[in-house]
Amino acid sequence: MNAIIFSALLGVVMMFSGILTTNKQAIKNIALVCLTLLLVANLANHYEWYSIKIDTKQMFSFGKYGYFFNTIAITATLLYVFVSGDDIVKVGSYGAEYFALIFFVLCGVTILSSYNNLLMLFLGIEIMTIPLYILTGSDKKNLHSNEAALKYFLMGAFSTGIMLMGIALLYGSSGSFGIESIVNNTSITLMKVPILEVIGLMFVFVSMLFKVSAAPFHFWTPDVYDGAPSVFTSFMATIVKSAGFIALITLFANKSEELGKLWNILLVIVIIATLLVGNITAVFQQSVKRMLAYSSIAQAGFMLFALYSRNEIARDGILLYTTAYSLATIGTFAILIKMEDHSLDGYNGLAKSQPLLAATQTIFLFSLAGIPLTAGFFAKYFMLASVIRTGGNAAIYLVIIGVLFAAVSLYYYFKVIQAMYFKEGNAATTKITPSFKFALLLLAFLIILFGVMPDALLGLFYF
Amino acid sequence: MNKLVYLVPLFPLIGFLINGLGRKSLSKSLIGIIGSTTILASFVVSVFLFMDVKAHGASVVTAFNFINIDTFKVAFAFQVDQLSSLFLLIITGIGFLIHVYSTAYMHEEKAEHFGRYFAYLNLFVFSMLLLVLGANYVIMFIGWEGVGLCSYLLIGFWFKNNNYNYAAKKAFVMNRIGDLGFLLAVFWLIAKLGTVNYADVFAAANTLSKFDVTAITLLLFVGAMGKSAQIPLYTWLPDAMAGPTPVSALIHAATMVTAGIYMIARSNVLFSMSEVTMNLVAIIGLATALLSATIAIKQNDIKKVLAYSTVSQLGYMFLGLGVGAYTGAVFHVMTHAFFKALLFLGAGSVIHAMHHEQDIRNMGGLKKKLPITHATFLLACIAIAGIPPFSGFFSKDEILAAAYAHNPIYWGLGVAGAAMTAFYMFRLYATTFLGNFRGTHDQEHHLHESPKAMTIPLIILSILSVVGGLIGIPEILGGHHELHHYLSPILISEKAHHIEHSTEYMLMAISVAIAALAVIFAIVRFSKKPELKDATGIAKAMENKWYVDELYDAAIVRPLEAVAVFFKNIIEKSGIDAFVNGVGKFVNYSSRQLRLVQSGQVGNYILIMVLSIVIFILLWFYDAGIIRLVDKFF
Repeated sequence: MNAIIFSALLGVVMMFSGILTTNKQAIKNIALVCLTLLLVANLANHYEWYSIKIDTKQMFSFGKYGYFFNTIAITATLLYVFVSGDDIVKVGSYGAEYFALIFFVLCGVTILSSYNNLLMLFLGIEIMTIPLYILTGSDKKNLHSNEAALKYFLMGAFSTGIMLMGIALLYGSSGSFGIESIVNNTSITLMKVPILEVIGLMFVFVSMLFKVSAAPFHFWTPDVYDGAPSVFTSFMATIVKSAGFIALITLFANKSEELGKLWNILLVIVIIATLLVGNITAVFQQSVKRMLAYSSIAQAGFMLFALYSRNEIARDGILLYTTAYSLATIGTFAILIKMEDHSLDGYNGLAKSQPLLAATQTIFLFSLAGIPLTAGFFAKYFMLASVIRTGGNAAIYLVIIGVLFAAVSLYYYFKVIQAMYFKEGNAATTKITPSFKFALLLLAFLIILFGVMPDALLGLFYF
Repeated sequence: MNKLVYLVPLFPLIGFLINGLGRKSLSKSLIGIIGSTTILASFVVSVFLFMDVKAHGASVVTAFNFINIDTFKVAFAFQVDQLSSLFLLIITGIGFLIHVYSTAYMHEEKAEHFGRYFAYLNLFVFSMLLLVLGANYVIMFIGWEGVGLCSYLLIGFWFKNNNYNYAAKKAFVMNRIGDLGFLLAVFWLIAKLGTVNYADVFAAANTLSKFDVTAITLLLFVGAMGKSAQIPLYTWLPDAMAGPTPVSALIHAATMVTAGIYMIARSNVLFSMSEVTMNLVAIIGLATALLSATIAIKQNDIKKVLAYSTVSQLGYMFLGLGVGAYTGAVFHVMTHAFFKALLFLGAGSVIHAMHHEQDIRNMGGLKKKLPITHATFLLACIAIAGIPPFSGFFSKDEILAAAYAHNPIYWGLGVAGAAMTAFYMFRLYATTFLGNFRGTHDQEHHLHESPKAMTIPLIILSILSVVGGLIGIPEILGGHHELHHYLSPILISEKAHHIEHSTEYMLMAISVAIAALAVIFAIVRFSKKPELKDATGIAKAMENKWYVDELYDAAIVRPLEAVAVFFKNIIEKSGIDAFVNGVGKFVNYSSRQLRLVQSGQVGNYILIMVLSIVIFILLWFYDAGIIRLVDKFF
């Protein structure tokens, strides 16, 4: 509860700080302080030092899992602002407002991590996405940014419509918005074909798939990620996407019996389509930014494994996965923002001009590809292990397919490494400050740390 | 007291680290002092350990748990007993002398390479000590591999000469073949007994089946063949002479090559259980002794003669092991270490004086110019020829006597080999030191006795070569065979010699007489007019080492290369590469096609999404047909 209230309040604080000062550095620092406050507030919840108590009438169900995800999301945002804060305030002339919007997004994220009611799910999704429409279009004089914002809004509205429709159908069949009551009657029996429940659930499911950009509902992703200012793409691709997965997991967790085989078949189709579209299309991209957009689809495919297996390993694994993926992606985008040329050729020879950037970038890419000794390896490992745990032939095939596509992903990730280390050229970057380098090193260090000791992160969860 | 055993390998390791890391910054004299004193320190501790073992018996000192897998445990433990303490003395004692000798011999090297040399040498001693001290086969294997590595590094020490690099590679590969046997034997032991500790293995040995024992010992023997240069893996040792001469003395004569003998002596409980292996060991040893002796007769490189002589003497040691004379074999290891190290160091002194000339046809008459080298070399030659009362006599006689007890034919062939040994050693001696000088005028002008750092080790070793045999005087000559009593707790009792004393006297007399004849013949034959012409006929085959290298090349290397070429051109290029590249091309192609779906039109996107939802819903309800089909696949 703390995190929800504080994120909303601090968002307002950020908004008003724009009136008090226009100094961009100061605004960034205020944002960092506010994020730290938010983190402390959430930790106070997690470790039961202090929590605001409000009777939510079962709208929320707070638990360690949700708190821990909040911690991850807020920490990731903190790191994100730490690395890219200077670039956020540079996007346009409303520095404080961007941060305020980020806080509102976090408010949505924290709702999604603890909701217990379909209305709260809807609210969370909307609170999270509406600021994103604005952030996507924040580069107002850039046509691409405007186009992306409009597309995002159109398709987002469409998916919201579907979700609302689904929730209405579910309410119609069960008379309740509580998530316990909805999924229990969806298995087909001889007596009854539960049309309302099934279609309602399907609509909610599909609109959630849209949010996490799973194929075939991913079409907005490349266009929006490409058009949005890179700093906000970074935020969207990491923290926001992770929240979508947590919401999905919460919706379907521990309901494997009721969901039955048919859901799994749908999921398998979605997973394979997502892996295929994400990985295969990324291969041919010449722009690193667009490649990352597709790679984020591919990573979503891997995270969907957790939804398929829905067991303990998956619940832990998705936390590790979102952490590993967020850290690496934030770092990769941070470097991308500093590049003058966002195409692959723009990275040529980066190892010579900026060895530290190239080295940390290599670690980030290793992690994304799932090379051992980086967090990404264990993230993928946990996903595959959770699927194996479910047993059955389908699990084995799914794992094989996952590994094959992971192999494909090596190709496009390593193209960047190849450009940095093995191609001649003078990769031009904007000014690199020492604190930026330090932030990158910190990210790389965390990735290696969680790659060597994944228990360090999961241990925090069970602490 | 025996806790000190840690120090024995620790000192050389420290020396290795200091010399290895400081090779660019330390001065040559400091490097030499560090390199030598660390070995001296080990020697001093070894002496204490030896005394301790003599007084209080054997013990095992565990340092820490090395490998811990379920019930399988390997401790990093040291075996302090009669056999290992004796080897410690040989390794550190001779090692120290050779380190001192090296400080002078390698003086012309640049400081950096000088440091590298001593670092390798210290590392070698460390590994060798680990090999000998390990209380289980795994620790022994660490040392076993370590000495192999150091041998490789030191043979290729002058790495700018590519032939030396090839020699190093050859040594490494040959040793690896042997190592595989060793490893398999250790795995076999683990599989059958679940332990690698000497004590546990020997205690449980009689639970092994006949087949297992034979297989394990044969595989161990393959390891010994590689390390101790026996047929068919002996060809690396003569080539190993590419390394600096002190290295040849320490590694390729006195210590490392005796590791195989040590290992079999250590495993004597296992070997004694397998008749087949014992016979094979004896036959291979004898064959090696004879074959390399014939080759040594016709070699003209001073170090090559000594190298083949080493192979030959190692063959005698294996003969001793094979007929169950473990003490005799260990005894011969010790005396051989003395006189062979001395011979190599003497050869080094000659080479040093002759400015890196190694062909004995260009020497001659060095007696006057190098008095100390000459005197010590002569003593060593007498010792190796087996003339009493020099050390080689006692050890060789013990082996031959045991061979006679086992099979008189072994004895006959052994004596023939001994005669050849006496012959080629004195051929070498006579050609090098007697007669007139045949080198260039320039060389003659610069001839000089070596510095003290080289001659003092020579003198010490020559004393040892002369009197070293006295610790093993057999009872029929009125001695007590101290060594036999000392080693008896760990070597199982040898088969009683059913030889009459009179027979034994006669055998001894015959072998000494034949050796003496060979010595006299060689001196008479070669002192005045050494053979300078190229050999013909059988002699030519002997000079060319019976074409064994060429045979290996044709029988093993070429066919392997042909297979490799086949795999490279056919399987790899048109099979694997084509497949791999095909996958890449396919992915690239699909990428180009799939990309087109992303049209940029929001209308299209939403259409696809709606169609997908419809399909999903249809799939859900159409629970026959398609779903079952999909179900089958997943």
